[in-house]
Amino acid sequence: MKLETRKIPESEPEMVEIRYHWMTEEIREIISFVKSRQGQLAAVRDGKRFEVPVVDLFYAESVDDRLFLYTAADSYEIRMKLYELEDLLKNKSFFRVSKGMIVNLMKITSVRPALNGRFSAILKNGEEIIISRKYVPALKQILKGGES
Amino acid sequence: MARQKWKEWLIRALRVYTLLVTLITVLMIILGNLLDRDRVFGYDAFFSPLIYALIGTVATMVTRSDKELSVRALIIRKVISLLLIEGAIVLIALNADTIPTEKSWVVPGLVLGVFAVFVLTHVILYFADRKEAEKLNADLSRYQERQMNGS
Repeated sequence: MKLETRKIPESEPEMVEIRYHWMTEEIREIISFVKSRQGQLAAVRDGKRFEVPVVDLFYAESVDDRLFLYTAADSYEIRMKLYELEDLLKNKSFFRVSKGMIVNLMKITSVRPALNGRFSAILKNGEEIIISRKYVPALKQILKGGES
Repeated sequence: MARQKWKEWLIRALRVYTLLVTLITVLMIILGNLLDRDRVFGYDAFFSPLIYALIGTVATMVTRSDKELSVRALIIRKVISLLLIEGAIVLIALNADTIPTEKSWVVPGLVLGVFAVFVLTHVILYFADRKEAEKLNADLSRYQERQMNGS
């Protein structure tokens, strides 16, 4: 695929144009990446495509090599690896709370102790997720304004 | 990150150890007064809570895992840890001249006492974790405010 970039004057709007012969997985991945940079994630629910705003996302969970996004009431599947999504959202208040899950820190109502030094987070939709012990030090650090 | 994890674990182990020393000393005072009131000890007796607490802290290593344990696995490991402590303490008691295990209530009293210390330790640690959670909540609230204000 040929890649072309061009510097334009500030008066013109910035844009990404993708020219394709066939809508392949590779093209879809590129579109998905561009949309995620604009604050939206291209995901699927019941065979239909949706644009999920990142701000509406509560958490993302990897189950059996499939990645699911959860909003207040809905869930979607996204074709991406958890670490790729984590990398994409790292400056958007998302934090890894366990091996298979990242959570939107802006959607946590409160944290309370669970078993053996673990904590559980109560989300704004009432759901409860476990914060693994090994991620607690990094969470403390990020909440205090540091980077994980 | 790995260094931080070890630091956190060490702090927790030290907290468990200190707590155990205190609770075991209290247990020895209660059990001694109830079961063997007239016995007199030398200064060496002050080592006992330190040694028993060390056994208890080492036994908590059973619950340490780099993988995240499920609640079921964790409970099983906690039970194993309790059995190890009970076994070690009873074994020491049976071989120690200073503990009158020939009296019928001493061994069951020890077993019950160890169980009480085990439960109490977990209750106290839970309250310590609750305090930590309160601090996390305060930090979370400040973090969310900072993000909302874009600072």
